Amino acid sequence: MELPAQTTMGRHHRVLMVSDFFYPNFGGVENHIYYLSQCLLQRGHKVVVVTHAYGTRSGVRYMTNGLKVYYIPWLPFFMQNTLPTFYGTFPLIRNILIREGITIVHGHQAFSTLCHEALLHARTMGNKVVFTDHSLYGFADLGSIHMNKVLQFTLADVQQAICVSHTSKENTVLRSNLPSQKVFVIPNAVDTAMFKPDPSLRPSDQVVIVVISRLVYRKGADLLVEVIPAVCKRFPNVYFIVGGDGPKRVRLEEMREKHSLQDRVEMLGAVPHARVRSILVRGHIFLNSSLTEAFCIAILEAASCGLLTVSTRVGGVPEVLPLDMIVLAEPVPADMVSAVGRAIQLLPSINPFEMHKRMKTLYSWMDVAKRTEVVYDHAVNSDSNDLCERLTRLVYLMYYACGPWAGKLFCLVAVIDYIFALFLQWWQPAELVEVAPDFPVQ
Amino acid sequence: METEEKPVLNGEKHVVDYPRYTYECEGHIQALASVHRIIVKQRKGRFFKIFWLTLMLCSFLLIFNSIFVSQVINGLECIFLLSTLIVRMFQKNEVTEEAVILMPMLGVQLETSYHSGKVMRRFLPMQKILAAVINEAVTPTTCYFYLALLVREKSELTLVFQEVRPPLDVLISIWKALNDATNFQPNYPASIG
Repeated sequence: MELPAQTTMGRHHRVLMVSDFFYPNFGGVENHIYYLSQCLLQRGHKVVVVTHAYGTRSGVRYMTNGLKVYYIPWLPFFMQNTLPTFYGTFPLIRNILIREGITIVHGHQAFSTLCHEALLHARTMGNKVVFTDHSLYGFADLGSIHMNKVLQFTLADVQQAICVSHTSKENTVLRSNLPSQKVFVIPNAVDTAMFKPDPSLRPSDQVVIVVISRLVYRKGADLLVEVIPAVCKRFPNVYFIVGGDGPKRVRLEEMREKHSLQDRVEMLGAVPHARVRSILVRGHIFLNSSLTEAFCIAILEAASCGLLTVSTRVGGVPEVLPLDMIVLAEPVPADMVSAVGRAIQLLPSINPFEMHKRMKTLYSWMDVAKRTEVVYDHAVNSDSNDLCERLTRLVYLMYYACGPWAGKLFCLVAVIDYIFALFLQWWQPAELVEVAPDFPVQ
Repeated sequence: METEEKPVLNGEKHVVDYPRYTYECEGHIQALASVHRIIVKQRKGRFFKIFWLTLMLCSFLLIFNSIFVSQVINGLECIFLLSTLIVRMFQKNEVTEEAVILMPMLGVQLETSYHSGKVMRRFLPMQKILAAVINEAVTPTTCYFYLALLVREKSELTLVFQEVRPPLDVLISIWKALNDATNFQPNYPASIG
């Protein structure tokens, strides 16, 4: 275990992670925030997480190593997102920023309304702001257009941004008109200690292909419906294990019935994350058929368990694994079937333990934390936050980049936020807000 | 930041000043009791602000209601009366002082005194109290520390201070005193302070 070493520039930051997505909800963003926070805590920084209340879980909770989590009592209204009231969360966020003595606010996920609001308020309060984008989004449909506008507004004022792959960086820069020098690329990582290979659990007479994903359109469930029967027909010794649930599960069940594949395709339903490893180690090959992916952590987990991956060549997937650990194909059924064929031929040359050892050196959360620290140091050293200078920059950026109407509207929002900050200073002066004590890291 | 751990002797008061409250701590060795008081400081300008806000609100309402333009003078008198009534209503429910009286052998008494002269008292026998805890409360607009007691056969925490929100140092010293009181063993010599 690493001792809490001095950072490269010797400074310890006090970071506030903000997102609508955190435990007890499970997913990529949630894991990212948790593991990153734990590694930063071990490196000597202070980390506090803010998210919305989940059911009756509201208030302050402490997680491992003294990670403080604020479940603020604003309930989600749509797809895990808090109701966007623009200024509603300002008093509470301001209170939290003052009592914890926060220097940097780190927002996660463009789809999170709490994140956008918190970043706006943090800038008004004078804190430095970093934003991490975890997904790829489109440009053409109505929802994406609106979200990109909001993103332009939030990112107009951000110090640094982080993306999880180069493809994701391109996507974010195009959507938000952010200068690319401000965007860092820090890939996600995987907890290799939890995902260890166990070849003894694999059958020796069959080739087992594992699929674990949400069965939705985005994750290519329709592709699976075409690919599975074709592969079963061409390779008689192949056995499929499909884990996960979603709206497209019905189609997969239908496919199974239609081609009488009940004894060759096993449907497991929703799999809790703790059980994913036990299912992965039963397989030889991991099949990922996503239609869009910024960075696929599922592939990392599979590679860490010693499985060979077959995946669609979309988004950031080609950047994830070295080419001898992955077989790529176009998101077309015929190409994917031939890719599976190539993978089956490659199987004898794969050593699961070698793969696991390589993954340990390639990806680690401590490495992600060190690189994030560099981003924080850059953010802290960046330009000042004089109000006039900030407003001038905002006016220029927003008027020219966002368009005439949206630009004016966003400037108005920023100015009203500042007036609200002055009102809050009168109503509840910053000097009277108590500073919360820090708890030592175990 | 630690408060001084001076032994509090008979009848001696230990007073600490905070921006919003005054904290007084008294100890009585013979009665084996100690009293912790939180006195809310009277801020002169406070009701004036509420008064002015009500006044402005009512005058805006009146201006929009142009039917009564001719009766503006009477209207102003009504506004004045209304504002005074609202101010008096706020004042009556205002808390002037909250106190905790610790009697290690008997129990704990919690007092709340209002501006109207009314005093509300609650007594908790010592056997019923399991422990004292300091917790953080998060509301939609703010976040603060509070002191509460775990009471037997009750699923909810009993708040020690209903209205006032003293700073963390005060809560910690009262918590320590409560802890000593709940763990008090009659066979051992009394240790005060």
